[in-house]
Amino acid sequence: MEAAVSNGRLEVSCGNKIPKSTPCPRPVPGEASGGCSFDGAQITLIPIADAAHLVHGPIACLGNSWESRGSLSSGPELSAYGFTTDLGEQDIIFGGEQKLHESIRYIVSRFAPPAVFVYTTCVTALTGEDIEGVCKAESERLGTPIIPVNSPGFVGSKNLGTRLAGDVLFQQVIGTTEPEQTTSHDVNLIGEYNIAGEMWHIERLMQQTGMSILSRITGDGRFREVGWAHRAKVNMVVCSRALLGLAVQMERKYSIPYFEGSFYGARETSYSLRQMAYLTGDRDVERRVDKLAAREEMRLSLELEPYRKQLKGKRAVLYTGGVKSWSVITALQELGIKVVGVGTNKSTAEDVSRIAARIGDDAEYIPEGGARQILKTVRSRKADMVIAGGRNMYMALKEQVPFVDINQERHKAYAGYDGLLSLAKQLVHTLQHPVWGLAAKLAPWEEETEFAD
Amino acid sequence: MSERLNIVDHNQLFRQEKYVRQREGKRAFEAPCSPEEVTSTLEYTKTTEYKDKNFARTAVVVNPAKACQPLGAVMAALGFEKTLPFIHGSQGCTAYFRSHLARHFKEPVPAVSTSMTEDAAVFGGMRNLIDGIENCIALYQPQMIAVCTTCMAEVIGDDLSAFLANARQEGALPEDMPVPFANTPSFSGSHITGYDAMLRSVLETLYNKSGRTPQPGHELKLNVLLGFEGYTGNFAEMRRILELFGVPYTILGDHSSNFDSGATGEYSYYYGGTPLEDVPKAADAAGTLAIQQHSLRKTLGYIKRTWGQQLSSISTPLGIRATDRLLEEISRLSGIEIPEALKQERARILDAMMDSHTYLHGKRVAMAGDPDMLIGLIGFCLELGMEPVHIVCSNGDRKFEKEAELLLKSSPYGTEATVHCGQDLWHMRSLLFEDPVDLAIGSSHLKFAAKEANIPLLRVGFPIFDRHHLHRYPIIGYQGALNLLTQFVNTILDVMEEQAPDHSFDLVR
Repeated sequence: MEAAVSNGRLEVSCGNKIPKSTPCPRPVPGEASGGCSFDGAQITLIPIADAAHLVHGPIACLGNSWESRGSLSSGPELSAYGFTTDLGEQDIIFGGEQKLHESIRYIVSRFAPPAVFVYTTCVTALTGEDIEGVCKAESERLGTPIIPVNSPGFVGSKNLGTRLAGDVLFQQVIGTTEPEQTTSHDVNLIGEYNIAGEMWHIERLMQQTGMSILSRITGDGRFREVGWAHRAKVNMVVCSRALLGLAVQMERKYSIPYFEGSFYGARETSYSLRQMAYLTGDRDVERRVDKLAAREEMRLSLELEPYRKQLKGKRAVLYTGGVKSWSVITALQELGIKVVGVGTNKSTAEDVSRIAARIGDDAEYIPEGGARQILKTVRSRKADMVIAGGRNMYMALKEQVPFVDINQERHKAYAGYDGLLSLAKQLVHTLQHPVWGLAAKLAPWEEETEFAD
Repeated sequence: MSERLNIVDHNQLFRQEKYVRQREGKRAFEAPCSPEEVTSTLEYTKTTEYKDKNFARTAVVVNPAKACQPLGAVMAALGFEKTLPFIHGSQGCTAYFRSHLARHFKEPVPAVSTSMTEDAAVFGGMRNLIDGIENCIALYQPQMIAVCTTCMAEVIGDDLSAFLANARQEGALPEDMPVPFANTPSFSGSHITGYDAMLRSVLETLYNKSGRTPQPGHELKLNVLLGFEGYTGNFAEMRRILELFGVPYTILGDHSSNFDSGATGEYSYYYGGTPLEDVPKAADAAGTLAIQQHSLRKTLGYIKRTWGQQLSSISTPLGIRATDRLLEEISRLSGIEIPEALKQERARILDAMMDSHTYLHGKRVAMAGDPDMLIGLIGFCLELGMEPVHIVCSNGDRKFEKEAELLLKSSPYGTEATVHCGQDLWHMRSLLFEDPVDLAIGSSHLKFAAKEANIPLLRVGFPIFDRHHLHRYPIIGYQGALNLLTQFVNTILDVMEEQAPDHSFDLVR
């Protein structure tokens, strides 16, 4: 099955309940919605930690979003600063380009970043601000790359924004710098955002096999580092297809082979490392990966045993973005958990077929958002827990359903072999917490009434 | 339980030596500055010269301390029974509002979007609005839909009033469903203006729909408005006070139960809020009392003009004096004397303040937040003998500034203070270095500047993302004053203890 996946053709019978999904589906009016393209572009680029990220628009887009991602940086923190032109009514009427000029100059003079990303928002796209012109002029004037990101919220979904950000990187960043040294084992990670430091785990594993990360796109990334991504030997697209376009373009232009993989679960981790090693074409590295994978899987299976016992047969509803939709399923399956429901809201067609390949018709597909849908599945499928992100956490808790946060705000890293162990522990502890028992039992006076009846 | 919970989070995990070494190794690829350069630049950003450059900045906002209008409108909408906030614009805004409020209150937030896309940008968002209304009624069965706009709808000039009329004509929107709407572009005002605009629209819509004429004073009730209120505990405290008075009341816009529901085993989209039929009746009340005046200007103007009742508005009643004023106003509007129980409470809180005063006296404070909250905080600090020094209000205007300055002048502890309206948290950072203080009061966003300045942050206001349950405790009234006092003095004691050498690590404080 995995071989079929890596060839991009999935020839597995998927049953008949699998939803048809189109890439970046149009949002439906009147429903609770996910993020917009601006959001997608921003979360893709913000992990480039040493760059400044300037939002050209009214307060809303930055005021509601800054400091809210869990992407960690090992050094610079500039990307955590909230920069915005905070346009007012006058700027909408008379134009905000001058303000943008001044903002860029101020940021460059005071913070001296290697680059400034300037984000269009709905407003500045609609009022027709010449953001590209301003960025070009300021780039020339200041000698610092000022990079326009044309991804206003209204063009579509978060996934689309991620794609557009990928285009920005391909067209304006990658190929602009040269690394001091390269090896034949240099890999780019694309679409890994270092949430809770996950990338650092992966990096350690890679180092142990003699491979190294040339460019982090973009978790814990640096602007210059992304610039020399074209010198890598392999591109790995982590979990998400939203940045696949970037890998495809890099293959065409720079002949860098790519593959899609994930680090959730031991099987996916070993597969990804093997694939990386295979594409570097170095037999030694491949052998080292084999050894590492065997060793780690063995160790992990011993360490996981007590948790597997407790998790076996437990039923989970998974509601997450396209990024983790299928890969987390494998991780959960390795722990003996049955995924009885899965959100496909932000998944692409390819993601959906991968989900299908893993769970087939056995699970409920939840194509659209809305708490009701998720909870309906939890009830009808008798799920023991919900695994999702922050926006859906509290409604699960209202229903007294154990919940594990898998999205950008979590503080624990679940990637790699150690990550799977952490995830297993987290799941066991969550399920065992005394509060569920307390909630499941009636209050003493309610029990008495029952006796009275 | 076979094993104790021990899953290291990134806080501890990446301090392990192997990761530290890995990170050091990475620097080779970064072309970083030398540590000396980093230190000297950092030091430079703490100088007066840098501060002047920072304050000369006009175009760019760095680390804002405000959010946008529709966020407030969503909060206002959730103050009413079975009301669905409906945001007309592109979809991301709604997702932001839902996470923003969910992160603060730790509660689910129902809100939907018209999800406008490029074609709507060109042809207008009417189709999205009508389809959206039809969809959300089917999905969420609301009793009322509260529509607010985003920048996008405002820029293309969508006419909500006409669109809603068309929706009714098409039958997508039932004739009897009230749909208040507010124009809330983010390029003017902030979350508090948006709250105000939506609340006003709700009152007006429901009142007009009832076809009544106002008979102010017909009922011996009080209308109470809490405004953009991040504390569910404040609603409970307000109720308790009014119940001690024995005065009947209607809270106009009570979002507390929607943001503080129980884990009963069944999730619902709507948990409470002011009943819709109470709104027209509110026009007959003896008076209206608002405990946020800067955030409720339009609403109060509407009540004054249309309902014609006695009106009283004060800023958030934090501390003794402000609570005294609150009780006097309740007493004045209702004609009921201040109850004995509250008088005793006052004496007890004064006692608590005396117990703690030595630790708070003379402490220099920086604060950032919304106008009404800041007025309350300044007042309380002055009562505690604390000295407000830097006051940053991103969404404050001239009127607020004047009031704040007047209040500061009223006490010798206020003489050092400067009020900075329209400034942001990067300005605040400069202020903290140029003229250091002992502690900072504000939202979670202030924690970075406070950490750099090596002072504790007392989390008061909105949003508080990084602490749990603070919003469940009241900060208004005498009881609220005690809660804040407890938080203030114990934070200071914590810091003292952390810094204490062995011989000063004493038991009794």
